[in-house]
Parts: sequence; structure tokens; C-alpha cells
Amino acid sequence: MNKQYDGGDEMQSALDELFASATHEASAAMCRWTNGLITVTLDQVREIALEEVGEELHVGDELFTMVVLTIGSEVGGNLILLFDEFNGRQLAASLLKREPGTELEWSELEQSALTETGNILGCAYINAITRLIGADLMPSAPYFIQDYGASVIEQAAMTQALTSDRLLVCQIGFRRKEQQLDWRMVFVPTRGMQEAMHRSLLAAP
Amino acid sequence: MNTPPTNAPVREILVGMGHIAAGQAPQRMKAILGSCIGLALYNMERKKGVMGHIVLPESAGREAAPGKFADTAVPRMLAMLKEHGLAPAALVAKLAGGANMFNGSGPLRIGDANATAVADALKRAGIRIAAQDLGGTRGRRVEFDCATGNLTIQCAGGPARTL
Repeated sequence: MNKQYDGGDEMQSALDELFASATHEASAAMCRWTNGLITVTLDQVREIALEEVGEELHVGDELFTMVVLTIGSEVGGNLILLFDEFNGRQLAASLLKREPGTELEWSELEQSALTETGNILGCAYINAITRLIGADLMPSAPYFIQDYGASVIEQAAMTQALTSDRLLVCQIGFRRKEQQLDWRMVFVPTRGMQEAMHRSLLAAP
Repeated sequence: MNTPPTNAPVREILVGMGHIAAGQAPQRMKAILGSCIGLALYNMERKKGVMGHIVLPESAGREAAPGKFADTAVPRMLAMLKEHGLAPAALVAKLAGGANMFNGSGPLRIGDANATAVADALKRAGIRIAAQDLGGTRGRRVEFDCATGNLTIQCAGGPARTL
């Protein structure tokens, strides 16, 4: 059973506002990166029971092409950008201004186009959260993974799972003009990050 | 098109994080694993078993969600099988998972810790490990077939293997 964030309505509203603002920043960055082609929208900020994560995030047993950024500290988290094979290739091709690759293995250029996209999006979110909590957040270099989406999200959930049976996730959607794209970004903050955001949001005027 | 009877048992059971499911032939239980461990305890004669999707090594006294931790999941799985008259001596274990993803630098190398904790819990319970596929840096799709006792494992992009 899903529910909104367990910090109460006021905290849910503050988190929605924070991520909406971060998404606005990310959307502007994405728009610049793709020459106005792609915009980003905030789908939802919510809690999910651990055992329902795969189903609720619709990752099932499908293989995805992903870019992961890890903020590897107690006040940290993971940002995961997910594409299916077709959509990942399409994005890389549009950024590289050429036809989508057909080789089984992704070329270094294609991988680089996607990791840079993850970097741009991730940094927009991290900058917004950094301004809020006033702490320096140092993300890893983005890395490219092709794996089961559920396996990667499971790994991302580990630090939250240490202290909770529920997972706070922020889901982002992508649009090309009026068309919703089957790309997703999931942000899974650690418990330490959630507490830091709580404190900052409560202290905000 | 034929419609299956509404009282037909579910043939495929998805075992989510921290969950334990019980099954019997012809059911199959499946999970998608990263650093978690998929543990199947099984009785070949009765073709009944349970599968746990174990997330973390130690409960540290937390009693909620026993399927989440290795030290509480194994006793809980044994208790479920005991309700079906299956004693630990009549069971075998097959397990998979425990990857250390994100270039092996993920939080706490939890995959290794999970694998060790599950092996320890099985040893304490006197359960023999019949087969295992652990570690690495890739996710796994696992499916346990209650009819055959086979645990089929597929790493992302790789061929399926059966233990």
C-alpha cells in the first residue's frame, strides 16, 4: 500500500515544493542540453513499501539502460535515470545528431551522451538540495549500467532499508513537446538526507 | 479463448523485497535480485517450499518484517514449513544474489554481508546448501520451480542457468 510521505501533510507539501523547484531547474537544464526538445516534469514524491518497489515503479523484470549518480555519504542518495533500449538509443542518437546505433554493444559515444544527460539532470537536483540543506553534496561521476531495473533500485534502496520498511522516492517524467516519453528518473535519498531536508524545510521561513 | 477457473492457484508468485512466499508444485516463485539474497528452502518429496527475498544481514532486535533480515528470515521460513509438517532435516537450500552493484562500491558492500549472514543462519539451523550462485556486480532474475526444485538464474543480458 502506498501513501504520501510519512512526515505529515505539511512535510509532504514542503517536499513537493522542493522537488518541484528542483525539477524546474532540471527541466531548464535539460531543455538547454537537448536544444529545446525535452522537458522534465515532477510525477510524484511518495513512499513505497519495500516489497512493492519493483511493481510500483513498473520496473518488473525488464532490462533497462541506466545512468546512476551516487552521493556516497550519510547525507546522500542515488539518482537513477532509466530508459528502455529503444528510448535510450533514440536519446543518444538525437544528442549525437545521427541515426540510432544498431550494434549490440553501446558505443562509447552513445554511453557518453547518456551519462552526460544523467550528469546534467543529477546536478540540477543536487544543486537545489544543496541550497536547501546548506551542505556540500559530492556526487560520483555518472556511470552507465545495463541491468534489471529492479536490481539497481534495490541496491539504491539499501541505506533506506537499514532503518525503514518504506522507501521515499521522487519520480520524474520526461516529455518531448506534448508527448510523454518512456524515460524515468528515480531519486532515492538516504535517511540522513531525508532528515537534513526535514530540518531545513521546518526551519524555512 | 479459454478462461482459467477462478479458484486456480497462482502459477507464478513474485517475491518482493523482504517478503517470504510459500509454494507447491506446479507453482513457481520468482524474484529480481541485486544485493539481496533469494533463498529457497525446499522439500523434494512433497514438492513444497518457501522463498525469501532477504534484504539485509541483521535485524538487530527488530521484530517487524522478519523476511527482511537474514537472521530472522530463516527461522520464519522454517516455521512456515513446519506448519506443513516439514522439519529442517528434510529440507535443502538453494540461494542466489548478493551482488555488489554500482561498480562494487555500493553502500557497505551489503551483498557480501548478506551472503555470509544467510549461510550462517542456514548453518545454525542445520540446513544443507545444495547450490548457490552469489556475488558479482550484476543483477539476477531467479525463478524457483516447486515441481522440480530447480532454481533458474539469469544475469542481465546473459544466458539462463539452472541450479
